[in-house]
Amino acid sequence: MPYLGSEDVVKELKKALCNPHIQADRLRYRNVIQRVIRYMTQGLDMSGVFMEMVKASATVDIVQKKLVYLYMCTYAPLKPDLALLAINTLCKDCSDPNPMVRGLALRSMCSLRMPGVQEYIQQPILNGLRDKASYVRRVAVLGCAKMHNLHGDSEVDGALVNELYSLLRDQDPIVVVNCLRSLEEILKQEGGVVINKPIAHHLLNRMSKLDQWGQAEVLNFLLRYQPRSEEELFDILNLLDSFLKSSSPGVVMGATKLFLILAKMFPHVQTDVLVRVKGPLLAACSSESRELCFVALCHVRQILHSLPGHFSSHYKKFFCSYSEPHYIKLQKVEVLCELVNDENVQQVLEELRGYCTDVSADFAQAAIFAIGGIARTYTDQCVQILTELLGLRQEHITTVVVQTFRDLVWLCPQCTEAVCQALPGCEENIQDSEGKQALIWLLGVHGERIPNAPYVLEDFVENVKSETFPAVKMELLTALLRLFLSRPAECQDMLGRLLYYCIGPLIPEENKERVQELPDSGALMLVPNRQLTADYFEKTWLSLKVAHQQVLPWRGEFHPDTLQMALQVVNIQTIAMSRAGSRPWKAYLSAQDDTGCLFLTELLLEPGNSEMQISVKQNEARTETLNSFISVLETVIGTIEEIKS
Amino acid sequence: MSASAVFILDVKGKPLISRNYKGDVAMSKIEHFMPLLVQREEEGALAPLLSHGQVHFLWTKHSNLYLVATTSKNANASLVYSFLYKTIEVFCEYFKELEEESIRDNFVIVYELLDELMDFGFPQTTDSKILQEYITQQSNKLETGKSRVPPTVTNAVSWRSEGIKYKKNEVFIDVIESVNLLVNANGSVLLSEIVGTIKLKVFLSGMPELRLGLNDRVLFELTGRSKNKSVELEDVKFHQCVRLSRFDNDRTISFIPPDGDFELMSYRLSTQVKPLIWIESVIEKFSHSRVEITVKAKGQFKKQSVANGVEISVPVPSDADSPRFKTSVGSAKYVPERNVVIWSIKSFPGGKEYLMRAHFGLPSVEKEEVEGRPPIGVKFEIPYFTVSGIQVRYMKIIEKSGYQALPWVRYITQSGDYQLRTS
Repeated sequence: MPYLGSEDVVKELKKALCNPHIQADRLRYRNVIQRVIRYMTQGLDMSGVFMEMVKASATVDIVQKKLVYLYMCTYAPLKPDLALLAINTLCKDCSDPNPMVRGLALRSMCSLRMPGVQEYIQQPILNGLRDKASYVRRVAVLGCAKMHNLHGDSEVDGALVNELYSLLRDQDPIVVVNCLRSLEEILKQEGGVVINKPIAHHLLNRMSKLDQWGQAEVLNFLLRYQPRSEEELFDILNLLDSFLKSSSPGVVMGATKLFLILAKMFPHVQTDVLVRVKGPLLAACSSESRELCFVALCHVRQILHSLPGHFSSHYKKFFCSYSEPHYIKLQKVEVLCELVNDENVQQVLEELRGYCTDVSADFAQAAIFAIGGIARTYTDQCVQILTELLGLRQEHITTVVVQTFRDLVWLCPQCTEAVCQALPGCEENIQDSEGKQALIWLLGVHGERIPNAPYVLEDFVENVKSETFPAVKMELLTALLRLFLSRPAECQDMLGRLLYYCIGPLIPEENKERVQELPDSGALMLVPNRQLTADYFEKTWLSLKVAHQQVLPWRGEFHPDTLQMALQVVNIQTIAMSRAGSRPWKAYLSAQDDTGCLFLTELLLEPGNSEMQISVKQNEARTETLNSFISVLETVIGTIEEIKS
Repeated sequence: MSASAVFILDVKGKPLISRNYKGDVAMSKIEHFMPLLVQREEEGALAPLLSHGQVHFLWTKHSNLYLVATTSKNANASLVYSFLYKTIEVFCEYFKELEEESIRDNFVIVYELLDELMDFGFPQTTDSKILQEYITQQSNKLETGKSRVPPTVTNAVSWRSEGIKYKKNEVFIDVIESVNLLVNANGSVLLSEIVGTIKLKVFLSGMPELRLGLNDRVLFELTGRSKNKSVELEDVKFHQCVRLSRFDNDRTISFIPPDGDFELMSYRLSTQVKPLIWIESVIEKFSHSRVEITVKAKGQFKKQSVANGVEISVPVPSDADSPRFKTSVGSAKYVPERNVVIWSIKSFPGGKEYLMRAHFGLPSVEKEEVEGRPPIGVKFEIPYFTVSGIQVRYMKIIEKSGYQALPWVRYITQSGDYQLRTS
């Protein structure tokens, strides 16, 4: 980071560092060095005084030494040739009678991170491993990992690894844990440090001597060890039971994880284990520290995923307090939503209803979505609450309620009647795109049950010119067309107007061409086919070869329902789909054109990948229609991607 | 675990000091932290863990500083947070207060500490008492390399150094119970729990062995004294010095204590107890004209006990004006910056009932934005009393030199997160 005036500063400091008078006065010398470090901390480039600083390392003042070594570690990658000069001093310090100095020098030398340093540090590290002071051994053990990292991916030094394995029996607890950490780093290509029975039992016996960091670390390594018998498993669980009571949350979490994973191999132990970890986790959820509370809540959610209802009797612990930060409240609402059962549903809903009118719109909306989630099981109660919320006529509430309704009628058709009765009037309180889309969709699909549906849509048609969101217009077009089919008399006129607007004179020249091209690609005509059964789909899928494969860019999260709906509009059926947010995420789609040609599609999102893989199979090989089908698919996915971002 | 680097940032996100431990995440990545934080905050999606591509930021805020650990691995998050808290704790013990100023003034020591706290992304020596033995604050004193390793760095008992001496050997035991309460607007108790801690202040010479006896129900049942009054403790957590295996075997709490202040153990009781101070409130809002508040507070604890420093904060609308109060005891004060009335009662004996009335004017023009409904909060402290009834039965102190030491015990019950929702 070049700063104005830093050259002058460097010059001045250089002069001061060379001044023999200052060098003679230790305090003044140290103060100049402190100034160098201060500037370095502020981001000024101080590499210009490297030579002088190297000289300053030859001192008996430990603080000065530390500062100089810190400086060297920062600038060594920039000045590798000069840094080599410093190595001599460092090597000498590695055999200083004071173990603090030995440790400091060795640590700094291993942290130089510059090419060519390996050959110099090898010997000091080996000496350090056998040093009588544990302080130096701790540094040396981690130094092995640092040295290995400098080498890049070169071959592993077997002798060194053996040495480290034997140091697992060291007296000093931190040396033991550092050995594990170091071995893990060195052997990461080969799957990390091996925990066999003797090592596992040795570590288990040393547990109580370790500090909280060491305990958590060892618990993590023990995940790798698989007890041979149930007896051994119980021994381990009993030995580690007390760590669930540790005052360190990291250790509690580590022990919890180990317990859950060990029990996985012995399913009948699982209930016992879950009972044991319940208390500590609940305690952590009301921890004073927000961050730890957040972490604990995330753990609870994970457990609830596989064991819904595990914390149901403790639902009150997840009620939000007024002063809690947002992220904790949101997690708690999610948890509440998942642990609902017949006994507590009344209380949970009452609590959630209170949150719906919270002053923070985000939190209120999260609570409404949560009620929507619970509605999948306890439909009537929830729909009633949601309907009452509409009565508040608050914009941010109405829009989310309507979106919740849209998702709900999709999953629980039995509530359609109630939803339809609640809808009239909400259009006055919806301004945002998401809410409008949901409302229009509902009016389109269930319009025959809502007396004033055409008139609400008519308002939207009137104002379509000032509508800024393309997605709303799309939704409007589809909905109106649908409603036209069930209530033609009322809709015909405005559908005409809307169509005229959509393809009419408002389209700029360049778009017109595309509009005209459309009929050509109309060679493909997808028809709403009978819903294929999953069995039939699977059979056909397996019998066919992939006709086309491609990837589309895809970022972040999305709602699968949206995709499903969008595909539905173009007559592509969704056969099966993974849950939102899961990775890998998959969906299977099928479509049929007017000639009876079947298109079977797989969508795949790999974890960490920012693209969607599409594979299409066809039961009759026709390239032309295949291409048209793919372009339809691309358009839909592209649109979703746009709406999402 | 493994944090790649640790940063201390000022309130604007500019790094004040940083330490690159592992070198597998570019230090420049921290530039993305602040924009990301601001963006997430606007979206209402702020969390203690932020990710930018492959880099994860685990952060916490302390006064006007952000402490951030970066990692590109699937690190144990609770451990990283614990480490950040530990770092804060250590800095606080060195500088009294941890803030931008103290970091700038003491950057040499901060560097020294960061160097010892962690190596290659792994926590090393984090006990501030041990660190203080070899990193001293007198930066103007020259430390010529006298061949001295702090004994504790290699000690078998890592939390206590040898050779401590006191003229008078004493131990002060504080038994503190905090009551957390959440009451619904219609007066039903949603949550009531007691979080207890036993804190020790140790002034003992040498390497003493301590044994603490409590009226623990499990212990009493083990020894067949179940008739005596006892307490059932849940979620007991101990300081590292307590021998957990002995506690598991025969419920003995035995340990070699660290020197000075520390928290020996904590426990939790979720048994329903009657709320110690019960509040009934009526807040009547007459739009455009006034708000009238009536609060009744009742002490629901033993007559012999007295609650001290009782503070009842009642929310009022932010546009309220011209306050008028009437209290049967204590004094009421309007705190406009927090939008509350605070009713303070210096001493509140058990069984008593007091009343406060407040009257506020409201402007005739109502303001636009909706307001939240903050709860009524209560603060209090009841000395010589524990809700759970826990008692220290004995504290045995054995040291090989055989000195006599005195244990002093003090009990206190105080309010924790004590909230009563308003309608």
